[in-house]
Amino acid sequence: MGKKTGIFGFGILFGFALSRVGASEFDLIFNMFTGTDFKLAWVMLTAILVGFLGMRLLQAKRMTTRSGQPIKISHKKLGRFSLLGAVLFGIGWGMAGACPGTVLAQLGEGKIYALFTFSGMIFGTYIYARLKENTTEL
Amino acid sequence: MITALANFIFVEPWPFWTGGLVIGLLVPLLYYYHNTALGVSTGYGNLVKIILPSRQLQWIKSEFSETWSWRIYFIAGIILGGFISARLAGRPLIIPEMGQFTIIVGWPALLNALYFFAGGTLLGLGARIAGGCTSGHSIHGIANLHLSSIIVTVLFLAGGAAAANIVRALFMGGGI
Repeated sequence: MGKKTGIFGFGILFGFALSRVGASEFDLIFNMFTGTDFKLAWVMLTAILVGFLGMRLLQAKRMTTRSGQPIKISHKKLGRFSLLGAVLFGIGWGMAGACPGTVLAQLGEGKIYALFTFSGMIFGTYIYARLKENTTEL
Repeated sequence: MITALANFIFVEPWPFWTGGLVIGLLVPLLYYYHNTALGVSTGYGNLVKIILPSRQLQWIKSEFSETWSWRIYFIAGIILGGFISARLAGRPLIIPEMGQFTIIVGWPALLNALYFFAGGTLLGLGARIAGGCTSGHSIHGIANLHLSSIIVTVLFLAGGAAAANIVRALFMGGGI
């Protein structure tokens, strides 16, 4: 099975899980941020813990993939404006009640306004590409 | 027994731990099978390239040499996963509301659309400047104990809490 087919399958699983657990519900995200329902915070904490334990398991297997390649962990370093970017992202997250993954699940669920959140994300990425034309700092 | 299990998986909303388990497992599974970090937002660069193929933007050209990379397949899969979930749970095909928000604010559709477009723009721009989103930083990065991801996630949450509380106070009469 090719990489693209395999990742398409994992994407289906991811979207299904996000939708089933309610991560694609505006109300659950909004209520986490206003402090009235912390279900999604528990989802994130559980996911982090499971992810951490899974990576330990891979370390016990000497960090090799199924085909025996050494695993290369992606590590994003902070840039000069990363913290500002994080705050902008957070404001968008709280406003739209979605993030770049969950908006895709919302689209699949047929939520009309997710089309606008989604278009906005593409536009925001385009703005970033335009800013990068004039600066190397971002 | 089988009906009860099918009901638990496909119809009832999952408890938090079921979702956390499946989402968390994606981190090691994607590395094990595809030597790839869990992450969604970078794929929006591929979408920019697909939509604007003639724009010669340097960052797009250098970072997204393969237009239809695995990231597009991941994005397509997530959409299909949401579709399958909604179908199996017997939800309506089209959902015109966005939770309680659109009901409580009572804005015209165009204003709602602009609001979500603005939120999306901040998400897209912010994710690129921060170097990732909820999946890449908050799940994948913290699961790998990256300090940068922990700091970024704290600010994600702070921004989200500030925005949601301001929106609730200004437009929703303290509702939801």
